[in-house]
Amino acid sequence: MKYVDEFRDPELGRALSGEILGLVEPGHHYKLMEVCGGHTHSIYKFGIDDLLPENVELVHGPGCPVCVIPMGRVDDGIALAHQPGVIFTCFGDMLRIPGSNGSLLDAKAEGADIRMVYSPLDALRIAKENPDRDVVFFAIGFETTAPSTALTLKRAKAEGVTNFFCMCNHVTIVPPLRALLDSPDLRLDGFIGPGHVSTVVGARPFEFIPADYGKPIVVAGFEPLDVLQAVHQILKQLAEGRCEVENQYTRVVPYEGNLRALEVMSEVFELRPHFEWRGLGFISHSGLKLSDAYAELDAELRWDVPGIRVADPKACQCGEVLKGVIKPFECKVFGTACTPERPIGTCMVSSEGACAAYYNYGRFAREREVV
Amino acid sequence: MHADSLSAVQCETTHGVEGEGCITCGDVAVPLRVLKVDQDRGLALCEDERGRHETVEIALIAPVEQGQSVLVHAGTAIAGLPAEAFAPEGAQR
Repeated sequence: MKYVDEFRDPELGRALSGEILGLVEPGHHYKLMEVCGGHTHSIYKFGIDDLLPENVELVHGPGCPVCVIPMGRVDDGIALAHQPGVIFTCFGDMLRIPGSNGSLLDAKAEGADIRMVYSPLDALRIAKENPDRDVVFFAIGFETTAPSTALTLKRAKAEGVTNFFCMCNHVTIVPPLRALLDSPDLRLDGFIGPGHVSTVVGARPFEFIPADYGKPIVVAGFEPLDVLQAVHQILKQLAEGRCEVENQYTRVVPYEGNLRALEVMSEVFELRPHFEWRGLGFISHSGLKLSDAYAELDAELRWDVPGIRVADPKACQCGEVLKGVIKPFECKVFGTACTPERPIGTCMVSSEGACAAYYNYGRFAREREVV
Repeated sequence: MHADSLSAVQCETTHGVEGEGCITCGDVAVPLRVLKVDQDRGLALCEDERGRHETVEIALIAPVEQGQSVLVHAGTAIAGLPAEAFAPEGAQR
């Protein structure tokens, strides 16, 4: 496929790998964070880290929206799913996320009407097909997914659908990045920026990273050469003493983003004062809720949700993994008590999660050949 | 085209359950080709490289034309792609 094949060219990959080797300073350990779970997946699927010099370490960031959902929000979702007459809809990965007393899949087994959907539009269709039932869509995701929810809510309102509701868990990318950069236990040299989030928000919102923190960021696509090129661009900036926002993914990402998407998001959503992130705690202005104009579609206003904060299981170190402080295999329960079949933490559940990526691609320990 | 013909199309795709990651939850989007457009309702019937059909919101990148390639995330086209970006499985590359 055009724009896929040429970004998987092994010859180009080897050449780029050689150029990267020439950019690193021996004795210096480089820590680059890939923000997005999609990048983590690509890195291990294609073995990209094996093409990097030993002193270039890729650290996995908090860019998997499923992984950052705290247990309390899962409990709230389950409480809504158990409301009489409710059809609860969500994306597939959410079903197995453990709450404090089981997952949505467990709730489904207990009789709750929980259905997996591939898009908010599917959830709206279910609402139209079941006018005598209330349909709740558990909305999750960064700015990539939020416009989709926003458009569906606009559509529901315009079409006068009165039995469609949204439990909004959408989050924004910039506040957690700032929180990570402020974190004292994490030293990073640069960022591989999220590709499809940037399709919506553009590359401009990341300008604070070089401006305030003096770190380079390169927005990148998801093919192996995209990621390698992003690493090359970051290391080149460091070698030349520069720190800028660069856009490697120009074939899809406009620097200013998708203005229509931003417009529809600002109409339908407003920022929550704070939102809890798994492993990162409460972060100000990092979550979205429905705006007053869409309040009648807000599931959290239609029903009482418990809204209780639940601590993560003690054995689980998803927090440290999400912050890039430890590698997944360094977690005490990785691959033993916590597996994709029986996950304890969210990072093992989602296919975008760092732990699931390590587990599925056999990265049980860091064993690499010296390049 | 008739306005209801798009809404009758069920999401036939199985993206996200084939080991390629979850397109809806992750920051992942897939290229699809537009087969039919309902500009009034802001929807398009699209197909993926394996010929599976999906109804997609196009309000963010409208106007969209038949035959165009679009990048789709969670049922919404978030970016247009050059026409040659999409090639059905088995097609000449």
